[in-house]
Amino acid sequence: MKKIAVCYKWVLNDADIRINENTRALDMEKCKPQVNEYDRNGLETGVKLKEASGGAELVGITCGLNTESSTKDALSRGPDAVYYLDDAILESSDSATTSKVLAGMIRSLGDVDVVICSEGSSDQYAQQVGPRIAALLQYPSVSYVSAVSLDGDTLTLDRKLEDGAETVTVKAPVVISVSPDVCEAPIPSVKQILSAKKKPAAALTLAGIGLSADAVKPLAAINSVKAPQTSRKAINLSEGGASLDEAVGKLVKQLSTDGLL
Amino acid sequence: MSFLTEDQQLIQNMVREFAEKEVAPIAAEIDKTHTFPTKTAKRMGELGLLGLTVPEEYEGNPCDNVAYSVAVEELSRVCGTHGVIISAHISLGISPILKFGTDAQKKKYLPDLASGRKLSAFCLTEAGAGTDAASQQSVAELKGDKYVINGSKVFITNGAVADTFIYFAMTDKSKGLKGISAFIVEKGFPGFAVGQVEDKLGICASSTTEIILKDCQVPKENLLGGEGQGFKIAMQTLDGGRIGIASQAVGLAQGALEAAITYAKQRVQFGKPISANQGIQWMLADMATRTEAARQLTRHAALAKDTKDRYSLEAAMAKVFAAEAAMWVTTKAVQVHGGIGYTRSYPVERFMRDAKITEIYEGTSEVQRMVISGNILA
Repeated sequence: MKKIAVCYKWVLNDADIRINENTRALDMEKCKPQVNEYDRNGLETGVKLKEASGGAELVGITCGLNTESSTKDALSRGPDAVYYLDDAILESSDSATTSKVLAGMIRSLGDVDVVICSEGSSDQYAQQVGPRIAALLQYPSVSYVSAVSLDGDTLTLDRKLEDGAETVTVKAPVVISVSPDVCEAPIPSVKQILSAKKKPAAALTLAGIGLSADAVKPLAAINSVKAPQTSRKAINLSEGGASLDEAVGKLVKQLSTDGLL
Repeated sequence: MSFLTEDQQLIQNMVREFAEKEVAPIAAEIDKTHTFPTKTAKRMGELGLLGLTVPEEYEGNPCDNVAYSVAVEELSRVCGTHGVIISAHISLGISPILKFGTDAQKKKYLPDLASGRKLSAFCLTEAGAGTDAASQQSVAELKGDKYVINGSKVFITNGAVADTFIYFAMTDKSKGLKGISAFIVEKGFPGFAVGQVEDKLGICASSTTEIILKDCQVPKENLLGGEGQGFKIAMQTLDGGRIGIASQAVGLAQGALEAAITYAKQRVQFGKPISANQGIQWMLADMATRTEAARQLTRHAALAKDTKDRYSLEAAMAKVFAAEAAMWVTTKAVQVHGGIGYTRSYPVERFMRDAKITEIYEGTSEVQRMVISGNILA
């Protein structure tokens, strides 16, 4: 096995999203970018697979807007090198165009035996990029992977599905999409952070991977994103000093009225 | 606004993740039970936090002092005890060996300390010698190839958990301050003992003890910096320590501020969140302003340590301002919470108790003002 590529997305930290109470619009001003949390599991899966391979090169791959600033963070999580494509045209990239660009980057690197994606990103969670890359590269695709082991160029993969569990054996080259429980993503140490700057980070361009600007125009456009509104009835069961029995009676009556009992 | 470099930001993110995932869940419990956090202290070693600012050749992580300050702040934002463990270990235990130690001393002691395999402590204060360091009663006498040290120290952070101690003792009482010397003492040396364990108001999970040396035999080569150099070593070490404590104070203030903001937005009285009241808004505004001012003064002092030979003035200003800001902000955070803030249901009372010590240890606020006035009037 020569090369393992882990795809990661540089996303805004959704923990800092503010919601405009009047319009329900999302305010991202305070959100800082970070490596998508699900992809951290993918990167750690790559680290373990590299160890098991006995010497494969592990690379991180990303595309989008401002992805150049992601490289040190990604490199501190294990890859030997990172390849990024930083282009403003990809700001509103959808799953189809992201997959097209990532597949182009992987093709241009050559000799990639295993492509690792996570199940989704914290911002869109479309769960499409892994299978789409596989289709574009004409590699087999194995999704919902919860455990990975390697023997030569054969991977044994556990899949957790809604209606059961599967164990799949597949020969490289392959694209796998891992679920968060595939492994724990460790917190990088200070040593890993400080040594990240000594590792290579290389910029790729759309032209360099053989794609035109027209080819990466998103097929779907998101017109607006709004936070859901949750309305509550705010009924106070103990209002007026009601006893426990009275409150329970009131609750039962209300649930019956609502058709829930 | 953040003026941090990319490395400093990555270290900040990393420490915040560690603090929130591994320290925050135990912070209230270790405070309540006064239990030293052995497991997370070990994790700090694994993550390289106990070797911040130490060169790689000694198994350290050579980041700058701003990154170190950020790390102490992030730990203290969820737990003051973790902040002081790292601050005492790096600023007070490692730093004097790094600055004044011989090559042999550095090679012998720093790898274990920087990797976190061992912790360190700083033994200056005595029952009768707090701010008045010249009143040291500890005495070291050279006998053959060993110093024999007798004396005891109080309020030693990391006292019961450290392996390596920087111990100050008089080698020539007639010389006063110039008769003080510093020694590297190991807990396994004959005559070393841990005495009384203090029961404290705050930073309850940190180990604060008495250290007793009775005819303790310390090899001659463990003298740090030469006879009579002890007071200079102590003062210069404390300049760095004050940046650590200022960072701890900023973290405590930040933790309290965030808790107060969250609570003020959730707590409904008279049909609206209390954050809608101008009285609360102005309190939060002042808390945020003092916290940010303390942070900038502290990072300025850390930058001064990175770029200047002497930084006593910057360190003293940062320490007194940040400590008093932390005390004020944490007290206001309890006020914003009202009655529930006075209970252990919320972390703000712990932040308030933890903040008090920052006005006292490593030089009281009054001592910082002495240092500042001495500098500006000189």
